[in-house]
Amino acid sequence: MPDNTLVRLIDVCKRFNKGSETITIFDRLELSIPAGDFVAVMGPSGSGKTTLLNLLGGIDRADSGEIHIGGIRVDALSESALTRWRGAHVGFIFQFYNLMPMLTAAQNIELPLLTRPGKDRRRHVETALKVVELADRKKHYPREMSGGQQQRVAIARAIVSNPDLLLCDEPTGDLDRATADEILSVLRLLNRDLGKTIVMVTHDAAAARHARRTLHLDKGRFIERDLAA
Amino acid sequence: MASLVLQIFAVTMINLRSIPQRLLLSISTVFAVALVVLVLLGFLAMANGFQRTLTGSGSDDIAIALRGGSRSELNSVVVRNQVNLLAEAPGIARDATGRPLISAELYLVIDAVKRRDQVKANVPLRGISREGAALRKGISLIEGRMFNPGANEIVVGQDVIGEFEGFELNQSITLGTGRWTVVGVFSANGSVFGSELWADAAAVQSLFNRNNVFQTVRAQLESPAALAAFKAYVEADPRLKLEVQSEAAYFADQASRVSDLIRRLGWPLAIAMAFGALAGALNTMYSSVAARACEIATLRAIGFGGIPAFVGTLCESMLLAAVGGAIGAAATFVAFDGLTVSTLGGSFTQVVFSFQLSSTLIVRGVLLALLIGFIGGMFPAWRAARMGIVEGLRG
Amino acid sequence: MNDLVLIRQNLRRQKLRSALMAVSILIAFAIFGVLVGFERSMNAREQAAAADRLVVVNKINFTQPLPIAHYSRVRAIEGVRQATHLSWFGGYYQEPKNTLIVTAVEPETYLEVYANDYDLRPDARAAFVRERTAALVGETMAEKWGWKAGDRIPVSSDIYVQKNGSRAWDVTIAGIVRGRTPHIGTNFMVLHYAYFDETRLFGKDTIGWIALNTVSPSVNDRLAKTIDRMFANSANETATDSEKAFNRAFGAQLGNISLVVVLIIGAAFATILMIVGNTMVMAVRERTREIGVLKTLGFSRVRILRLILGESLMLALLGGLPGLGLAALTAVSLRMSSSSLFSALVLTPDIALTAVVLMFAFGLVTGLAPALSAFRLKIVTSLGRS
Repeated sequence: MPDNTLVRLIDVCKRFNKGSETITIFDRLELSIPAGDFVAVMGPSGSGKTTLLNLLGGIDRADSGEIHIGGIRVDALSESALTRWRGAHVGFIFQFYNLMPMLTAAQNIELPLLTRPGKDRRRHVETALKVVELADRKKHYPREMSGGQQQRVAIARAIVSNPDLLLCDEPTGDLDRATADEILSVLRLLNRDLGKTIVMVTHDAAAARHARRTLHLDKGRFIERDLAA
Repeated sequence: MASLVLQIFAVTMINLRSIPQRLLLSISTVFAVALVVLVLLGFLAMANGFQRTLTGSGSDDIAIALRGGSRSELNSVVVRNQVNLLAEAPGIARDATGRPLISAELYLVIDAVKRRDQVKANVPLRGISREGAALRKGISLIEGRMFNPGANEIVVGQDVIGEFEGFELNQSITLGTGRWTVVGVFSANGSVFGSELWADAAAVQSLFNRNNVFQTVRAQLESPAALAAFKAYVEADPRLKLEVQSEAAYFADQASRVSDLIRRLGWPLAIAMAFGALAGALNTMYSSVAARACEIATLRAIGFGGIPAFVGTLCESMLLAAVGGAIGAAATFVAFDGLTVSTLGGSFTQVVFSFQLSSTLIVRGVLLALLIGFIGGMFPAWRAARMGIVEGLRG
Repeated sequence: MNDLVLIRQNLRRQKLRSALMAVSILIAFAIFGVLVGFERSMNAREQAAAADRLVVVNKINFTQPLPIAHYSRVRAIEGVRQATHLSWFGGYYQEPKNTLIVTAVEPETYLEVYANDYDLRPDARAAFVRERTAALVGETMAEKWGWKAGDRIPVSSDIYVQKNGSRAWDVTIAGIVRGRTPHIGTNFMVLHYAYFDETRLFGKDTIGWIALNTVSPSVNDRLAKTIDRMFANSANETATDSEKAFNRAFGAQLGNISLVVVLIIGAAFATILMIVGNTMVMAVRERTREIGVLKTLGFSRVRILRLILGESLMLALLGGLPGLGLAALTAVSLRMSSSSLFSALVLTPDIALTAVVLMFAFGLVTGLAPALSAFRLKIVTSLGRS
């Protein structure tokens, strides 16, 4: 049987130094996410949700353990190899969108494409804009758009380089219910129709319901409640 | 009213306390303003020192006659019979024996070597009678003695010895075929004569082959008012194609040519640099306003007016500029005040002078600094005063 | 879109701030251009000096005349290729404040000695040599007063008078002289010595100084000693120096202009280094989060470093290039002003090139600290939680 596991964490430990105190976030954390999954990660503040995303995205390093993503041992990559890998395989979506204020929607979406050689940048941008249904706003600057629209731009930016894995950090945390639902539908569509594997950190149970399954993180450990997926 | 003052005080204190958050930027503004003031005051102190040296040399009650059209003693020619005619002129003071107090002089240039850079420079050699020295105030021999009539002897201004090599007492100097000896050193009380060498007029005439030819005539007037009569006499006689002016006016003209030039170089430079510093000040103050947007909005929300926000920002800016101005003035004082240099004066000879910073100049420098602070603070202050409370609070 | 667009957009995000920084850079480079041009023009005579040229002046001082007999004796010395004599005229035009640099020369020998310095059309040359009251005018002086060949001009002297009592000598401009290199100033006029000497009331048969070309620069020292020995212990002893040394001493009479220029330019650059450097640090600090995002999106550290250095570099060029333009304009207007101090002020290509090199250096220096801190920035720290 082919192993379709996209993400696998083995014995991952992560500690932080806060003043003289050492805080352990993860102690021998294990996690496995199959390709094509849509996982919501919930948990109280300080439970390590964002740290988990950072480790998965290779923007933070574990103190020990192994992180395999798509068959690559991410924790063993050098800084520059990690940067290249991230640009090709991971898309990030943040709570506050983190768009470049001085760039238009289209330019923001184009950014990840600038990190690698390749033609047809414009076509990729157009496709991504269509997926998030924002083709008519491509020339607009972030300040000219609503929060929901900005988050759509951020989603388009995350998928424009066609990564396998999308990491979402409270993507609806700054949005009203209706807009949040729209954004979540877009994510679901990406998961269902385009086969993106999505890991979404949230503390909104309603948002989590859009995922195929929800992992509860507490004090650095998973408590898997929803086994139906 | 009292509440407004209190509000302004409160906002100003908030501004000043937040300076450490922008410490580097604030320091760079202070530094920029200080350098502007330093450059300006450097030039002005130079011009001032040069001007004081020259204007301190001329008297109102001494008339100086030059050949018409020659703007300096070096270019002038006066012949013997013109000197004799001048001696007859009205308005000239006479000594106890009834002889007119008049001095026919030569003004020539010889080479000297500057101590500072070993370069040849022009030093004036004045051929003068012993009475000629009496026509100048504040001259006193500090070493040796006066030259003897007809002898190849030189007395040297004190400033010459400081700037140039080889003019110390008892040194011998070769000029043409003659050997000359320094027999005395005089102090000229800070006047331009301190930059000169004096020798007997007749000896200088024979050295330079200029028998019966002089270059300028100085005459002691009975009073400054007597100049008019003296001048009228000269203008009326067609044999005297001479221009007469008071010695004070002559030196004022000589001084202004060089010191105006120095000022004309200094001001535009300082103003150009001030624009650079202004850009820095505006930048700093806009950052200051942006950094305190939340505090200002909070104060506005609890009832503070726009004026305190305006004044507070302006105060911060002007304080930074004032500190810069003070540092600049102090640095000029330390670096330049009293610095002795020499440059080419109006008569194509070296004039030794010192940089002189005066309180008027310092006021000018500080005013320029405050102007930078005012303009640099005003626009950001306007923004602070008009900032919307809602946007400010959103931070 | 490419990195250039990103850099441009970064500069545009706070237009006022970028504009202010550009203005302060502009001023510093305008000051640089004008002052260096000024300093060069003051030292131009030294730079323009020919290696094989000697100047013979009266040992007492160069303002003292030499008897004309010295000239023929110097010409006859072995090792002298060409020689000519010149006399300071002390000129002005119409009013004493309009100083003109005028010398009386012996036309044929003058043009021979300075053949490698000045360019003159053959017909103008012939006209100058032929006509006793002819004069040649340098390009700068001609431009300043709007003179052209054929103009008849009264040139007054503040030293000499004519036998008929007049101060003004009428001359006809035979042609305009151009310098063969930019260092050679052309704010001058030359007229015939014969015309001047015959008409002047006093000073007849004296000359100001002798200029000569040697057969080779290697004989300069020996020849100078020979000349000075020839007139030693005479009533008119000579001091012979290379033209370069003579011009350097002449320029140094005003004072150490180079030092003053260096100090002022230093002050101007120190000012903008502080202002722009600190502002760049602040601007990049404000963007910490965005830099983290760019890194997350796959922008490498080196790429980020390049983007920020590119930004400070672009700012330096945006301010510096117009500053250089302003300097060029200022130089032109100063050259046309009445002060003869600026008559040779030009912004030469090598000054402009130096300025551009400085702009690059300045851009790199001001961008370095913020670029390095962005380079080192950890994504986790920069994104934080807000």
